[in-house]
Amino acid sequence: MKLFIMRTAPVLGLLGLGLAGCQPDIEAPSVSAGSANFSSYISVGNSLTAGYADGGLYREGQLSSYPSILAGQFAQVGGGAFVQPLFAEAQSNGSGYLKLTGFTPAGSPTTAAVTTNLAVRGGTAAAPLYTKFTDPVNNLGVPGIRMSDILTPGYGSTAGNPYFERLTPDATPFQTYLQRVQATVAALKPTFFTEWLGNNDVLGYATAGGASSTLTPTATFTTNTNQVLDALVADGAKGVVATIPDVTGIPFFTTVGPSLKATLLAANVPGLVIMTGSAPGGPGTPNRKQIATADIRDAAGGRQLFTLTSAAFLGLLNQPTDLPWRYIYSLSGQPAAGYPLFLSAYGIDPTKPFGADPANPIPSAFVLDDVEQGLTVSATNAFNAALISAANARGLAVFDANVFFRSVSTNGIQTNGVNNTAGYLSGNLFGLDGVHPTPRGYAVIANEMLKVINAKYGSSFTGVNPNNYRGVIFPL
Amino acid sequence: MTVKTLLLAGGTLLVSASAASASGFQVNLGGQKNIGMGGVGVGLSLDQAAMFYNPGALAMVRENGVQLGVNGAIARVSFRSADGGDQRMLDNKLVVPFNFYAGFGPKDAKYKFGVAVYTPYGSTLKYADGWEGRYVLTEITLQSLYVQPTFSYAITPQLSVGAGLMILAYGNVNLQKDVPFPTQDPQQPIGPGHITLDGKAKTQFGYNAGVFFKPSDKMSVGVSYRSQIDAKVENGDVTYSGLPAGASAALVNRSFTATKFSATLPLPAVANIGVGIMPTDKLTIGLDASLTFWSTYRTLDFGFSGNNGNGGTDGLVGGNNFSSSKRYYQDALAFRLGGQYKVDDKLTVRLGTSYDFSAVKDGYVGPETPDANRVQGSAGLSYQVTEHLGVDASFLFEAFMKRTQTQQDLLDNGTSDRVAGTYRTNIYVPGIGLHYKF
Repeated sequence: MKLFIMRTAPVLGLLGLGLAGCQPDIEAPSVSAGSANFSSYISVGNSLTAGYADGGLYREGQLSSYPSILAGQFAQVGGGAFVQPLFAEAQSNGSGYLKLTGFTPAGSPTTAAVTTNLAVRGGTAAAPLYTKFTDPVNNLGVPGIRMSDILTPGYGSTAGNPYFERLTPDATPFQTYLQRVQATVAALKPTFFTEWLGNNDVLGYATAGGASSTLTPTATFTTNTNQVLDALVADGAKGVVATIPDVTGIPFFTTVGPSLKATLLAANVPGLVIMTGSAPGGPGTPNRKQIATADIRDAAGGRQLFTLTSAAFLGLLNQPTDLPWRYIYSLSGQPAAGYPLFLSAYGIDPTKPFGADPANPIPSAFVLDDVEQGLTVSATNAFNAALISAANARGLAVFDANVFFRSVSTNGIQTNGVNNTAGYLSGNLFGLDGVHPTPRGYAVIANEMLKVINAKYGSSFTGVNPNNYRGVIFPL
Repeated sequence: MTVKTLLLAGGTLLVSASAASASGFQVNLGGQKNIGMGGVGVGLSLDQAAMFYNPGALAMVRENGVQLGVNGAIARVSFRSADGGDQRMLDNKLVVPFNFYAGFGPKDAKYKFGVAVYTPYGSTLKYADGWEGRYVLTEITLQSLYVQPTFSYAITPQLSVGAGLMILAYGNVNLQKDVPFPTQDPQQPIGPGHITLDGKAKTQFGYNAGVFFKPSDKMSVGVSYRSQIDAKVENGDVTYSGLPAGASAALVNRSFTATKFSATLPLPAVANIGVGIMPTDKLTIGLDASLTFWSTYRTLDFGFSGNNGNGGTDGLVGGNNFSSSKRYYQDALAFRLGGQYKVDDKLTVRLGTSYDFSAVKDGYVGPETPDANRVQGSAGLSYQVTEHLGVDASFLFEAFMKRTQTQQDLLDNGTSDRVAGTYRTNIYVPGIGLHYKF
């Protein structure tokens, strides 16, 4: 008996363990390009396309831009090299950006600017020039560019947009953005492209609280859209056109209002006086507006939105102060001597209580009120209609970022078991400037674009795991 | 040390099983002989293991006896995320479910009684570090140990009934997952955040009853029913590791105050019917069908309480004091076919197969139970060493069908708290037992 057990038990054990070495295999899914060709890809767009994040353009952000994520997936079906105008390692902090340094005892975040290892080669403190990158690039994302700027000669000169200036060859300083796109198409012969211009045509107006910059006229927008898309499809390339998200859903606008409203309600303050629009004039002119505390937007309702930049100054409400005005004036870049004229042009009396008296209202740049929002939304809708119709006319895929971001602001998005929302900081999707996505946000965008590409061209790309891309870095 | 403590001590090491042999996290490793026959037994009266399959058949088991069996369940689970990436495999964990039966009755009496100890539900899975679903689950250990005193009475020489009191004597759940804290500065990494939920279930009671009818030497039929028992964890422990300690600690940690959790997991009822055919006195064939009432498992809810001092609000995990995850399992059928052939007085050989339908609906598959329809094949033998003592050996192989769910499936079902991808599992269960008849 012992012999029997001694013989059979090990045999059974070995049999079990031997077979147990066999892991069931799941074949890796094969990736196909469908009816499109991804061998050469270029991306056209603004800061969102460049990988701008946390208020600046820096190497780490560029490496997780959505075009570079897409290029990684395209490589699986023969996609070639994707060159971006990366900052060198020694200058990896690029234009500088914001960093989260900690929290006040009340729980508000404190940020600081990164000022080391920058890629500044000259210019002034207010208008720096960055280290040039004049090799041919596949990623033509230029932070700050609007659809209305693409035909402007000199946009890439030292007096223009420094992010475009660093890409513009010294021999052709007046090359327009459209001409650069046309030259890139001729040189790289792309078979696929993504186009995401237009956000700044709305965002510039909105982030200035409606106080400066103007909304691009729809006719200009449509004409320029057609010109840039014609340049891109010239050799039969296929591609994706992305629409403009609704800017009022980004944390830049949605973060400050709720806590301000709660503070005002607790102190029984019924309302505030704000300035609206950008027209000069004193109290009594239409550029002053009363808003009710109950009308400040939070989860319960309300319409008025306060910008992230206002947070530093809302603690001064009801005090006789001109600090908000000094800040607003400093943004304009005008010489200090012009400050008293500025105050009188708008009828500001800093001895009056800030936000409570029409003579010292909350600056227009700190509020996106309901009228300004209306103009923003209708411009966005008009621009998107133009984009979609131009894309459909050329048989291109459309990534409706407007619909997608609206659903993310309302419901959040779960990525492999992690909740992500459009909330500031801990929502994971938006960075410290409240406007641009984090690497995880860009990964989510890339996944949505891949879905749209699969649907239009019959390809079978998988997405990337967004959890492999970071959210905001906290000093844990 | 009391018997119960000994059992519990042994049970801690031995009872968990890798969801072997039946749908969901059910374990159908009742008797060592039966395992070799594809898990049939409801319509047979082979040995004392009838207390598990059909207590009514116990009175028809000719001899008294004691038997002990032990299995080594080796699960191989593979996963591929819908986001591409490498194939992920479980860390290898060997679990050792066992069974013990002892049945007695005076010679020629109409009744028999006995006690059974078995492990009808369990699961042990540990996923590879850093896998795509790490924020859903990194490892789970689910263990249950039932003790069942049983009584069976032969109303006529052909018809007997029986019932046992099922006691959930030991139930334990240990669930772990990584916590997605805000990203840490790459210059000062603190390691991943991790949460562990560990708790013991209260002792609960149920019943296992059956009727067995043997009209002739060539045929028998049985029905049995095991009732549902809810495994209730009332005072489980919540522990964290990797919580931040720097500038963001106050802000982040105040959402992680819970120290205790409570949860209820249903261990569902099972209804069985079986037929035994003995065309010759050497050959026995069994055919069983079972229905496990998994639809009772709708959601997995956790309630959190206690305060570890991290913040003002009690009982928070990730900012919530309650978490609910959809399951909506479906009732699952299983069909089993097996036979044994008495080669000579000493050696009996066995072969069997079964098909188990999955408890988990499409779009609901989660890493803690990567269930799918499964095919099983088994083989076994018994060797009668002496007139009283024998050895039973078995080998069971289960192949789960490959199962895929997409992100769109998860969104459609409201189950995006788990991962999209493809699972595939094989399980290997060698086993050996000893029986002593008297």
